[in-house]
Amino acid sequence: MVNVLPIATTVVAALLSIEPLRIGGFTALTPAFTLMAAYYWTLYRPDLLPALSLFIIGVIQDLLSGGLPGATAIMLLLVRAIVSGHRHYLVNQPFPFIWAGFTLLTGGAMLFLWALHSLLAGNVLELREPILRAVLTISMFPVASLLLGRTQRAMIGAG
Amino acid sequence: MRISAARRATIERASVSLLVVLSAAMILLGKADQVVLQSLRSYVMDGAAPALDVLSRPAAALATAAHRVLGFMTVYSDNVRLAEENERLLGWQQVALRLSAENAQLRDLTKLVPEPRISFVTARVVADSGGAYVRTLMIDAGRDNGVARGQAAMTGEGLVGRVSEVGARAARILLITDLNSRVPVAVDGTRQRAILAGDNSARPSLRYVDAGGGIKIGDRIVTSGQGGVFPPGLPVGVVVSVDSEAPQVEPYAALTRLDYLRVVDYGLAEALPNPSTVAGRGGKRADTQASGPPPLRR
Repeated sequence: MVNVLPIATTVVAALLSIEPLRIGGFTALTPAFTLMAAYYWTLYRPDLLPALSLFIIGVIQDLLSGGLPGATAIMLLLVRAIVSGHRHYLVNQPFPFIWAGFTLLTGGAMLFLWALHSLLAGNVLELREPILRAVLTISMFPVASLLLGRTQRAMIGAG
Repeated sequence: MRISAARRATIERASVSLLVVLSAAMILLGKADQVVLQSLRSYVMDGAAPALDVLSRPAAALATAAHRVLGFMTVYSDNVRLAEENERLLGWQQVALRLSAENAQLRDLTKLVPEPRISFVTARVVADSGGAYVRTLMIDAGRDNGVARGQAAMTGEGLVGRVSEVGARAARILLITDLNSRVPVAVDGTRQRAILAGDNSARPSLRYVDAGGGIKIGDRIVTSGQGGVFPPGLPVGVVVSVDSEAPQVEPYAALTRLDYLRVVDYGLAEALPNPSTVAGRGGKRADTQASGPPPLRR
C-alpha cells in the first residue's frame, strides 16, 4: 500500500505546480514541483516511480496547465534517463551534492523546454521567465527534499 | 520472474525511449489536430477539477490572510483615499442618473428594441498555467453551469480573456496576455481600431494600428466589437508605452491575482467555430478565429 507513495507524491506535486499562487506583480510562476519529485524518487526508489507513470503524470500536467501536451512528459523521462545513469555514485552523497546535481538538472530542463517552445513557436522566446522559474525551483528543492525524505522514512517504517 | 540486472536495464532503456518517442508524437499531434486534443483536455479537466478545487483553497485562504494583514498597515491612507474617491463618484452618480433618464427618453422616442438580457456565471480560478509558456486559467464552471466556448471572461475592472475549452464541470480561459490571443479593440472615444495581441508578457501590444493614428499614453482601450468576437465597449486596459514598435497596454484586470471572475454570455457564443467544422470546409487547417461577423442577436 505504501508503495504508491512515490507516485502519489508526484501526482500531488504536478497538481500543486499549476496552483494559482497569486503573488502580486509577477506573472504566475510556480516552481517545477514535479521535477523535484521525479528527481528525488528516481534517485532513491526508481522501482516505485516507473517511466510509464512519469509519462502519464507529465501528460496530465500538460493537459491541465494548457501547455504543450507531452512537453513535461519528455522532460520527466529525460530526467529519469539522466539520473538513472548517474544514480550509482549520486545516491550516497550528502545533501549539498544532491542539490548541486538538481541545480544542473533544472538548468538543463528549463533550457530544454525553452528551446522546444522556441522551435515550435518559430522564434526565439524570452529567457527571463525560464531563468526565474529555474531559480525558484532550485531554491525550493531543500524543502521538497525534506518532505519527501519524511515520506520515504514513513514508507520504510511501515514496510 | 527472474530477470538479470543487465536485461532489466535494457528493458528500462527501451521503455524510456519508447515513451520519449510517444511524447514527441503527442506534441506533434497537439499541433496538428486540435479536435482530439481539445476533447482530451476537457475530459482531463473534468476529472481533475474537484482535486484542484480542494488544493487551491488553502493557497487562496493564505493569500487572503496575507492581504488582510498587509492591509492593516495602510488603513489610514486607504481611508483618506477612499473618502475622496467616494465624493468624486457621487458626482458621477448624478451624471449617470441624468444620462440614464435621457437615454430612456430617447429610446422611447426612436422606438429602439431593448438589448437582450446579459447572463453571467461567476466562477473561481482553480488552476493556472504555472509558467508553461501559455497564459490560461482553469475555472470551476463548465457546460453544466452554462459556460460555452467563445464567451468573454471579465472582472469588475476589465476584460480577462475568452473561454477556449469547456468541459462539463470546468473550463479553460485564454487570457488576453497569451501568445495566441487576438482581441479586436479600439481607442475609446475615437474610431482608431487595432488588434490587441498578447505575447506572454504582462502587457499585450496593439498591432495593425493606423500609422497617423496618434495613440498616446493614457488612451483607454476598449473592445471594438469587430468580427463579432466580443461586444463593443468592454474595458480592456490603458496605453502605457508608445516607444517600441507597438504601443503597449496595461490591462485593467489584475491578471496575476484573479480569484473569481465572471463569464458573460452576450449571445455571441456561436462566433467561435469548432475546429472540426472549420477543418471540414475544404480541408483547411483548423484555427479558432471567427471566420466572419455572425448576425448579432437583437
